[in-house]
Amino acid sequence: MEATNGQSKAGDWQNFERVLLPPIRDLHRLDVYEKEYDGYQAIQKVLREWEPGEVIDEVKQANIRGRGGAAFNAGLKWSFMPPKDDRPRYLACNADESEPGTYKDRQIMEYNPHLMFEGILIANYAMQLDACYVYVRGEYVDWIDHMQRELDKIYEKGYVGENIFGSDFSTEIILHKGAGAYICGEETSLMDSLEGKRGYPRIKPPFPAQKGLWGNPTTINNVETLSHVTLVMRHGADWFSDIGAPTHPGSTIYGISGHVNRPGCYEYPTGMLISDLIEKVCGGMRDGKKLKAVIPGGSSVPPLRADMIDGVTMDADSLREAGSMLGTAGMLVLNEDTDMVTWLRRVNHFYQHESCGQCTPCREGTGWLEAIVTRIDEGEGNLRDLDLLIDLCDQMEGRTICAFADAAAWPVRYTIERFREDFEAKCKPAVFDTGGVAMTA
Amino acid sequence: MPTITIDGQTIEVSGDKPLLQECLNQGVELPHFCYHPAMSAPANCRQCMVEVGTPLRDRETGEIKTDANGDPEIQWLPKLQTSCTVQVSDGMVVKTHRTSEKAKRGQRDTMEFLLINHPLDCPICDQAGKCPLQIQSYKYGSEGSRFEFRKVHKPKRVKLGPRVMLDAERCINCTRCTRFTDEVSGSCQLTINQRGVKNYPITGPGETFDDAYSMNTIDICPVGALTSTESRFKARAWEMSRTPSITTINAKGSNCYYMVRDNLIMEVVPRQNIEVNEYWLPDEERVGWAYERFNDERPEHGPEIRVDDELTPVSWDRATDAASNALSSVSSDAVFFLGSAHATVEDNYLLSRIAEHVGAEAPKYIPHVEPGHGDDWLRTDDRTPNAQGCERLGIHPVDAEVLRSRVRSGEIKVLYVLEDDPVASGLFTAEELEDVVVVMHYYNTTNKTLAATDVALPAAMVVETIGTYVNEEGRAQRVRPAKVIKEVNRTLMMATGKSRTDMHGTPFDRWHNESHQVDCLPGWEILPKVAAHLGLEFEFSGPKAIMLEVTEQNPAFHGATYEAMGLQGHRLEDVGETV
Amino acid sequence: MSEFNIKKPVVPLPDMDPEPQIPEDELFFTEEELEQIERYKEKYPTNRSAVMPALWMAQQKFGFLPPEVMQLVADALDLPYAHVFGAATFYTQYYKEKKGTYVLDVCCSFSCQACGSYDVLDYLEEKLGIHAGETTEDGRFTIQEVECLGSCGTAPMLQVTNGPYVHNLTEEKLDQLIEDLRNDKMPPFTSVTLPQDEDEMEGNRRSDVEHTDTYQTPPETKRWI
Ligand SMILES: Cc1cc2nc3c(=O)[nH]c(=O)nc-3n(C[C@H](O)[C@H](O)[C@H](O)COP(=O)(O)O)c2cc1C
Ligand code: SF4
Ligand code: SF4
Ligand code: FES
Ligand code: FES
Repeated sequence: MEATNGQSKAGDWQNFERVLLPPIRDLHRLDVYEKEYDGYQAIQKVLREWEPGEVIDEVKQANIRGRGGAAFNAGLKWSFMPPKDDRPRYLACNADESEPGTYKDRQIMEYNPHLMFEGILIANYAMQLDACYVYVRGEYVDWIDHMQRELDKIYEKGYVGENIFGSDFSTEIILHKGAGAYICGEETSLMDSLEGKRGYPRIKPPFPAQKGLWGNPTTINNVETLSHVTLVMRHGADWFSDIGAPTHPGSTIYGISGHVNRPGCYEYPTGMLISDLIEKVCGGMRDGKKLKAVIPGGSSVPPLRADMIDGVTMDADSLREAGSMLGTAGMLVLNEDTDMVTWLRRVNHFYQHESCGQCTPCREGTGWLEAIVTRIDEGEGNLRDLDLLIDLCDQMEGRTICAFADAAAWPVRYTIERFREDFEAKCKPAVFDTGGVAMTA
Repeated sequence: MPTITIDGQTIEVSGDKPLLQECLNQGVELPHFCYHPAMSAPANCRQCMVEVGTPLRDRETGEIKTDANGDPEIQWLPKLQTSCTVQVSDGMVVKTHRTSEKAKRGQRDTMEFLLINHPLDCPICDQAGKCPLQIQSYKYGSEGSRFEFRKVHKPKRVKLGPRVMLDAERCINCTRCTRFTDEVSGSCQLTINQRGVKNYPITGPGETFDDAYSMNTIDICPVGALTSTESRFKARAWEMSRTPSITTINAKGSNCYYMVRDNLIMEVVPRQNIEVNEYWLPDEERVGWAYERFNDERPEHGPEIRVDDELTPVSWDRATDAASNALSSVSSDAVFFLGSAHATVEDNYLLSRIAEHVGAEAPKYIPHVEPGHGDDWLRTDDRTPNAQGCERLGIHPVDAEVLRSRVRSGEIKVLYVLEDDPVASGLFTAEELEDVVVVMHYYNTTNKTLAATDVALPAAMVVETIGTYVNEEGRAQRVRPAKVIKEVNRTLMMATGKSRTDMHGTPFDRWHNESHQVDCLPGWEILPKVAAHLGLEFEFSGPKAIMLEVTEQNPAFHGATYEAMGLQGHRLEDVGETV
Repeated sequence: MSEFNIKKPVVPLPDMDPEPQIPEDELFFTEEELEQIERYKEKYPTNRSAVMPALWMAQQKFGFLPPEVMQLVADALDLPYAHVFGAATFYTQYYKEKKGTYVLDVCCSFSCQACGSYDVLDYLEEKLGIHAGETTEDGRFTIQEVECLGSCGTAPMLQVTNGPYVHNLTEEKLDQLIEDLRNDKMPPFTSVTLPQDEDEMEGNRRSDVEHTDTYQTPPETKRWI
């Protein structure tokens, strides 16, 4: 179904039946998951009937686009793994979820952790992996304990560990608790962190598939991505790719926050109209105020002005055309009272605080950006500072080891570009001192 | 071997090194900070950026596509690449800052970032004048700064350990120092603290950076963040001349530069020799006594002879005369020659020749072996630089017991000592030597044997002479004069002029001060004088000729001419156990 | 803003000659703890990987991670001390100095900023008489400004001592929280009901949780930074 302007690609979303978070009481419990949600049927079928390579093909065909931010086809990523040799091979499940505005993976971890575990088992089988490390941000301690309880159960039942489900395939799942570092969500930094080092992103190449955890072939996938894997293997690739936006199919969890009446995490097909999400799903803007900005996918994506969201849907392609990105689908909605300068200043602070500090442009640039925007916010900035900010973005983007520096620069570049009047209102007029006589330009 | 094109010039490269190294090897300078050939490449400084393209291949045939002119079509990577992490491939095309505006901008932009929080205190920084950051910012940076904020204030004057000081504000977080302790020395004593712009290297609180190789971090630090507690604030880089030589505190023969100002050794820094010490020096070569023995504690009065039980200064002629008189005053079996593992091959050779001439037994040397001192790397149990050279000359370790009893019994009446200290070595007490006439070539006034010496001949040290040492592994290496002595002969003068440039190769040495010239002579000048009085005329024009004769006559030195040794030494053939 | 201020950026040096802060007779791991560390090690191919769980365990036991505790962890894992120190300083949840018994981590990032987190911070600062980054004199409370905690829909929110989340903060809720904590009553785990579950299941789907909350319209924001 081709979306025309103003139409959601999510089809009949009002009648959509949730699949990641289906309305089943106590679904997080193993017995419920098994009894009421066909739990661990897909993996058993896969073990019985599918060759590993076929699973990869099926997942590739389903086109699950990575839900961690980069929207890369998961099956395609799996296919980059080298043929099995005598080295151990790993999956890292990215549950670091630290992108500001993002809180959707936690919903799966709380309400449907077995869907993720089953997806991990399928992935491990498809790529013939020895183990999966689930890297969960340290702040999610309650959910880690919660998941560990469920994980212990499936270990006990032999769903994971030696010869799972009586097959000749053995694989492990290990939960790892982070300790407060946004950058560890970046896939290679996550690997350094798992190795017990400072979480420094690594240069690519070599890619994780060639040289990942402890130097061995590794694939990294997001929690939601892996959860979808279970559904794909349960219902088939065609079923999956029929949901939502054709080029970015499936359902997704929209984590909406900010100045709306009813924020929260909602599961709907991809390709929802942003306006539908705000007006129909979240009950409209708080106090009936006007919309000023939408940041559709976490702090790292370019903000959209209210007048830019007409007909824009929540999928990679539509958002790219609109001048932003889907990111994590963690959407922040800001109303007309928002001063974008003050808002940006705090975003800059985040990146200054979270830069790992390896790369010169990122380490120095993030602090410099914050310093300039702070000065503007405090009424001490000049108009030329705006040009300098854009220059600095040019100097940071595409010049670093990981995409963090880009993520730090984009909000600056696009907030200035799209909300320039907020900045101009705060900047001092340019003054040239011509020797006793001040001249305003 | 792959062929790549850099700025339009096609060259052959080894193919096993990163692009940056290949460029540097070809003399194409690329600015860089974090890359070091001996360590992993983190690519964190982001300074070495270039444009990289590869020939476009036809998907089906795998053939390289060509354009209308028949030139290969090049697919350029959209982003600038850090050349230190680019693995070269055949046909790769590279544009550096010399031809690419984009690369030039990339480098300039990184430089601007590097400098915003840098204190720019070059006028008081020890690194100024040799600082990669300073040099490269002049060459590749932009003028002025657009940074109008407070710089991040970080800890300064932090004593990381006994030998290394940190100024964290100067640090550019290249992690060379932490990688050194992790990957090279293995002490793992340094880490980066905190993250982001708050980063800086440090030891864990309470831990002392006492790595036996800690000072190498000073050398590889591309800024003045790490300085030597000892030589900090003592001399500016441009005030010192730099002489390629080797260190002599152990038998490794690590290659070094002696940095000299006003005839004082200010610093000893490593000199690259992949076969010997790669890029490194142990700390023991450059602290405390390693300098004092060259600068202080040197003889002040020239040669001396004992008159009325007092050492009294005399001319070199009278002193060498006295030495030969002593040798000819007794029968040849009452004379004993001690060679030296501190002295050069040339000097030991001449000593052997004299011993032979007077009919005495072949010289022996005092071994200085300290079991457990070595570390299978750049420190050895042997604390002398030339035991191998002695052995190859047929000079073997002295049997202390036998020699002592021969002295006690009065059998030995004259002891000729080359550049050593038998008393300090525990061979004899000074009293035991009372009735023996002792002639000694010595370096330092702290020499304990001086109390029993009758003819004291100040000898030029490794930093003042020319000669050859053979390290533990049988590598013959040349030393060159790094500082001048009072009586400079033609040979030394020529060598000094050639060896003493400043670190940028400027061939004049403006920093010498007559007051620090020691009145000493190299062994190869003293020994011929002594020999002449004994009727043995050496016809050598200098140490080079001596060495030539050694190589011709002694197969254990085959091929070790001065030309062959050059700056990297000459590996001698193994001769097996020589004793 | 948190401790490091870009307007006056100062990075202090840790005490490089530190006095031990844990009494010597308490500075050890018990047999059970050492066994636990062994189990951590077994989860990974290298000892080094066990550093994060071991630091967590040590922090649980000693309250914070002074140098002697990092050394203890290093010894238990047979790792260089600097590696442990380097890792510990990279991650903000490890306390490198002593904190209050209750650390109130107020998220002031992104969504929370837009939904009144600085008003929460103001209120707490006023109420406890300290600034963010400081600890009350009685050693009970530390307030910290932190980055996104992954609960943006219930902004403003906070986390207590790396533990439970408290959602949808209001002044009344904060008063209650402080009072409870003064009586050493930690807030319970609270499950936030999915809006779609509210509609389709009439409430929270979990029957094993005692405390639930729902997403609410965030309050007006007075102070933005
Ligand atoms: C700075 C940075 C932070 C990231 N943080 C996260 C994160 O918290 N969670 C996540 O799933 N992916 C994160 N990513 C994306 C991962 O690098 C990676 O692309 C993803 O985990 C791959 O999984 P997917 O293909 O299933 O999306 C981050 C990327 C960057 C550059
Ligand atoms: S871009 Fe920033 S966060 Fe990423 S590796 Fe470089 S310094 Fe670290
Ligand atoms: S101290 Fe020097 S070597 Fe170490 S990280 Fe800083 S700049 Fe690099
Ligand atoms: S030298 Fe290449 S990035 Fe530092
Ligand atoms: S912004 Fe506060 S929890 Fe995400």
